[in-house]
Amino acid sequence: MTGTITLRGIRKTYGPVTALETLDLEIRAGEVLGLIGQNGSGKSTLLRILSGLALPDRGEVLLDGRPIVLDSAATARRHGIGMVHQEQSLIPNLSVAENIFLDKAHPAKRHGLCRWSSLNKAARAQLNKLGVDLPTTVPVETLRFSERQQVEFAKVLAIEELVDRPPVILLDEPTSLLTPDEIRALFFQINRLRGRASIVFVSHRLEEVLEISDRVVVLTDGRKVAERASASVDREELYEMMVGRQRAPAATRLRPETRHAPPLLQLEALTSLPHFRNVTFQLGRGEILGIVGVLGSGAEELCRGLFGVLRIDAGRVRFGGEPLKLAAPRAAVQQGIGYLPANRRAEGMLPGRSLTENAVVTFGHQYDWKRCVRNKAREDAAALQWMRRLKVKMDKPSAPIASLSGGNQQKIVLAKWLLAHDLRLLLLDHPSRGLDPGARDELFAVVREQVEQGLSVIFVADTISELIELSDRIIVMRDGEVTAEFDPRSGALPKEEQIVAAMV
Amino acid sequence: MTQTFEARGVAGFADTWLPLIRNAGPLLFLLFLVAGSAIIAPGVVQFDSLLSFLSDAAPVIALVIGGTFPILAGSIDLSVAGIASVTGVLVVVLNPVLGPWTSVAVVLLALLFGAMQGFVHTWLQLPSFIVTLATLSILSGVALLLSNATAEPIPSDDVLVGMLGNALAGVPDTAVVLAVMVALLGLLLRFTRIGRDIYAIGAGERAALMSGVHVLAIRTLLFAISAGCAAMAGLFLVSVTSFSSPTLAGNLLLLSIVGVVVGGTAISGGVGGLFAAVVGGLITSWLRVVAVIVGVVPTAQNIIFGVAALLAVAVTTDRKKLGVIK
Repeated sequence: MTGTITLRGIRKTYGPVTALETLDLEIRAGEVLGLIGQNGSGKSTLLRILSGLALPDRGEVLLDGRPIVLDSAATARRHGIGMVHQEQSLIPNLSVAENIFLDKAHPAKRHGLCRWSSLNKAARAQLNKLGVDLPTTVPVETLRFSERQQVEFAKVLAIEELVDRPPVILLDEPTSLLTPDEIRALFFQINRLRGRASIVFVSHRLEEVLEISDRVVVLTDGRKVAERASASVDREELYEMMVGRQRAPAATRLRPETRHAPPLLQLEALTSLPHFRNVTFQLGRGEILGIVGVLGSGAEELCRGLFGVLRIDAGRVRFGGEPLKLAAPRAAVQQGIGYLPANRRAEGMLPGRSLTENAVVTFGHQYDWKRCVRNKAREDAAALQWMRRLKVKMDKPSAPIASLSGGNQQKIVLAKWLLAHDLRLLLLDHPSRGLDPGARDELFAVVREQVEQGLSVIFVADTISELIELSDRIIVMRDGEVTAEFDPRSGALPKEEQIVAAMV
Repeated sequence: MTQTFEARGVAGFADTWLPLIRNAGPLLFLLFLVAGSAIIAPGVVQFDSLLSFLSDAAPVIALVIGGTFPILAGSIDLSVAGIASVTGVLVVVLNPVLGPWTSVAVVLLALLFGAMQGFVHTWLQLPSFIVTLATLSILSGVALLLSNATAEPIPSDDVLVGMLGNALAGVPDTAVVLAVMVALLGLLLRFTRIGRDIYAIGAGERAALMSGVHVLAIRTLLFAISAGCAAMAGLFLVSVTSFSSPTLAGNLLLLSIVGVVVGGTAISGGVGGLFAAVVGGLITSWLRVVAVIVGVVPTAQNIIFGVAALLAVAVTTDRKKLGVIK
């Protein structure tokens, strides 16, 4: 038994949308397979099928040449396939050990009784395989994100003891919430497992895919458009195969005219404990201020504080010359401040509503008669105009937003703010999270266009390269404080190393 | 973008037919019920019978349209039966103090009480079903206490109750008032900014809040509407019975919730509307007619309504929109 998984002619449709179109794919035993594709290209569907969460309409999955039916996560697990979920699937209030063995029978919990010492010992053994040293008895909710991910990794890896062949581990965008150091640690763990398990590594960060994978498969519109050995391609080539066009060189963001722009936003020793302390900076009209920091550095929280979601303990904010009271999102919206949340599903979009309803939820009242009676025709027209400008891929504006891919959902959430006649400040909290490079470039282009017209932006970046690409000025935060400031306009662009040094 | 459309198999049923059944189903079911009853007992569809049906159904329909509002925004108001009962009692008790306009004052009081209830529920972030279950108990107690647990005749000089007993060109005033309420609330829901915000909250409260929707104000308003409708339902009831009893509306709570879900409003919020509420109210009321025609003993009627509620929730709940079923 070698443990090679072969997909043959897999097809999957959701209503009128074809997610996968006759896909053939081989996951060889012991390899790290990189899987890339734009949002909506079928990556998620493929992972769902492999992990038993969805059944293909047509085609078959073969394990060492024998067809298998993956009709539940439990079946997939029995065949040695497990997934480390992007948004994590651990039970927060259970301990590390309980989580690792939650989905598996184990002698330590036979007959419904738990023998804690032996369960904890078994969990320790699983964590050791990854070279991770975590307490096994604490509830996972007390761990940091990266630690929880390691627990989930160990949970999936523990499958190997249930099967007599190398397990298949699916990693769905595992790096998107990790710091550079944590990414190194993850890669170290993947390298440890190389040869012992098959790993499918899904990421939008092409450099990472190239670095860690043996082989790369590119999906577009549910089809496999390329399959290469990682050694034989480079980043630009991958981008082109994936997006279907060459990457436009990033526009240089040297716009000296903004240097003397009157400040729109002035922060003075703004403090919200325990999230951030003594944050002081100015933001000019038509300027993009990039903020970067690891998870917990306070960058994300600063955005939320400015939008009135977090309690402010001390400090002053002037907005357009006037003192700004940070009371509630509603008050911020009335001042012309918008916020694109990092957690799009819970905070950005209204899942059951249509694209149009989502777009007009905040500023639809601009088209109301006396700000009270709706004018649906004008709402629809305004929403449609923005959907066209942002090139939203959709069936019709009345389709539910949940039917769109992540990138297009993000565009609708952005449209909600751009619909405003008098938006002055837009807070972008990890706007590219979950977006493929093509969708991200489109999003950035729209942001730049708005900035040219006078919008000011605070941008909390996912990666340092996108930070440098979009920002006029850069602030680095660590442990709730500003540790460095870079102004590319006053000289050369800051080096990545300089920024990383200030981050950690 | 190229889309592939194709013939759909069994899997297509859920996508194609279920939404249709959800949308048109309640109305078809109502027509089916009425037609069925007409075959068994032709008398029930005569004009006079229908008019008196409307007067009888008015309290339930008022409760259903009121109860729809909190449910649309993902909350629930269980206090409506208590409010309706207290309304009847207060119309009697306060009459010596406030005179003929007592009933109007009581409705205003109910609006205020509902607003307070919505405010508390949202401000303190308490689950609405607990808050309103508590107030249901409080209100039922108040009704018993104020009335000394006895039924009293409604004072004959009360303006609103007196008017509700009359008829306008053969149509009972109750039906006219109800139609006005439905029209106003329907317009509110469909054509105003408030309506837009209500659906937004029902679809995702957190996202609505982060989009600048005034969740506190909207919730407060929703519970005021619900309580106001419940008070009107109480007045409809006493205008028929001409007596106020502290337990007058006691058995209407289940009916009103059944009405909301039978009409097609999802108990999880965000889906439904006033037309659905009216249809749902008519269905539950007509189920009582059917029960009488078929000869179900009154003591067994609650079984029918309970089963109807279960079936209705099973058909109308769009499980795709729910993350977790609680």
